[in-house]
Amino acid sequence: MNERHGAPWLAPLCWGILLVGGCLLMRFLEAPLRLVEPDSRAVVFERVDLLTLLGRHLLVVSVAALLSVVVGVVAAIAVTREKGRDFLPLVAQVASMGQTFPPVAVLALAVPVLGFGTVPIIVALMLYGLLPVVRNTLAGIEGIDPAVREAARGMGMTSRQILRQVELPLASPVIVAGIRTSVTINIATAALGATVGASNLGEPIIAGIVNGNTAYIVQGAVLIALLALTVDSLFGWLAPGHTG
Amino acid sequence: MIELIGVSKRFGDSLAVNNISLKVASGEFCCLVGTSGCGKSTTLRMINRLIEHSDGEIHIDQQPIRSFREEVLRRRIGYAIQSTGLFPHWTVARNIGLVPRLLKWSQAAVDARVEELMALLRLDMAEFAGKYPHQLSGGQAQRVGVARALAADPDILLMDEPFGALDPITRENLQLELRDLQARLGKTIVFVTHDMDEALRLADHLVVMHEGQVVQQGHPLELLREPANEFVTSLLGGEDRGLKEAALLPVSERMVPLGVGGVARDRIVQTASLRDALSMMLWRRVERLAVVDDEDIPIGELSFRRLVGARGHE
Ligand SMILES: Nc1ncnc2c1ncn2[C@@H]1O[C@H](COP(=O)(O)OP(=O)(O)OP(=O)(O)O)[C@@H](O)[C@H]1O
Ligand SMILES: [Mg+2]
Repeated sequence: MNERHGAPWLAPLCWGILLVGGCLLMRFLEAPLRLVEPDSRAVVFERVDLLTLLGRHLLVVSVAALLSVVVGVVAAIAVTREKGRDFLPLVAQVASMGQTFPPVAVLALAVPVLGFGTVPIIVALMLYGLLPVVRNTLAGIEGIDPAVREAARGMGMTSRQILRQVELPLASPVIVAGIRTSVTINIATAALGATVGASNLGEPIIAGIVNGNTAYIVQGAVLIALLALTVDSLFGWLAPGHTG
Repeated sequence: MIELIGVSKRFGDSLAVNNISLKVASGEFCCLVGTSGCGKSTTLRMINRLIEHSDGEIHIDQQPIRSFREEVLRRRIGYAIQSTGLFPHWTVARNIGLVPRLLKWSQAAVDARVEELMALLRLDMAEFAGKYPHQLSGGQAQRVGVARALAADPDILLMDEPFGALDPITRENLQLELRDLQARLGKTIVFVTHDMDEALRLADHLVVMHEGQVVQQGHPLELLREPANEFVTSLLGGEDRGLKEAALLPVSERMVPLGVGGVARDRIVQTASLRDALSMMLWRRVERLAVVDDEDIPIGELSFRRLVGARGHE
């Protein structure tokens, strides 16, 4: 529907190549990294293979995203049904408020309950990522022209048919935009996981902070940014016309 | 047949529809008119249970509507609204085929029906079948909405200002087509409109509503000639009543069959309305018109005196 310029798959491809290339070739970039951090002994983060960290980062974000999409979409659908209507204001309010809650705080609260490691970061990311999904799914469904819903009912569609054939397709661009926001934010937020012992691309950053090694921080930050750009442009390619 | 017996609808504390009784016989064209907010749409939507009535009973073909499953009831009742409610993500053809598909017709049968309906509503298949609603003009969208309502060939049609967004010419064409369709296929239609000329032109049974109640109902001529109160009089056009009545009567009603004497020069077809005849007299500045049949053969004469229904000889 919307105009697209050039090859739409070009952007994700380029960012993806830069990302994987960055992981593989970081150790050959000793010279430029040395410029950033002239004093340290090592400037290339080598404790864990960067590609492995990328894989773990992706895994954590994907699991969290999957959970928040399932839970968020289901919750939003539930409160827009006739039976769940009573909970709509509550859920809408929590969804809009929740975004202002800092993820560090979620993490800090999750650790005492769930312990160290990957689980608390997945929980924190899921909760944090839930909000854009819920908010956008609500907006998408509530934003449908009431006449369309009235016609759908008037023609004799069942509630299930209306949901599947009318509401979800019409709301999907907005829902996907919410998922896009959620995932993109969480790629950056996942780095915090390294502070509670989850190993991912946040690890070089935390190591850099702890050891006062700016070069480490730069490596982690650049790779995370590239990952975010890759995933965001993937969304742009697969679901064009809507930005988070 | 649709029958409403002492039906009311409460929204919270307010009574939107107050104890109305109404009978629409099979094959009858019923128009609901009244000022804005008087409960016309509510009445209509209670019939297909988009709104549940609070009191009274509604029957379709002697069966209480609550004895049907909602979806089953609605699939056998066509429904068209002013804002069309076409699905924006579906093509015109898919929109029209909705109810037949819900009724699990075969794809071939759905396709054939869509084609038939598009022809009926003068929507060029090649041009419009693949278009999306946002690519249609208001009038085209309304025709698609009417086509969708007719798709599964329902006996009953509920229409809420379905021609609201149309220019007068398209509107009149569609009115004539709907009227024709209803006469040919014996549809029972309940039609809400704000346009009194439309109501008078279409209705066999005219229902005037005011503040949730039926003020008067009956044949349009009956209401014109014997309005129950001031409200009905003014709603039906006040000073314009004479013209509105004339619009409902054919020339053949008042003409004198061809006898002796010369035939007038200006001709009018016998099925035209007395209003058209009056207009022609005013325009041509004549007092006599030759009345002709469909083949343009003179069959009578209409004088101004006869037209206005003056008694006594000329
Ligand atoms: N869902 C609803 N909830 C509360 N009140 C309603 C609802 N639907 C209609 N009403 C009220 O019921 C009354 C009748 O409304 P209705 O839509 O039937 O009017 P109408 O005759 O169709 O008017 P119009 O000619 O403007 O379309 C109005 O006062 C309206 O505010
Ligand atoms: Mg209305």
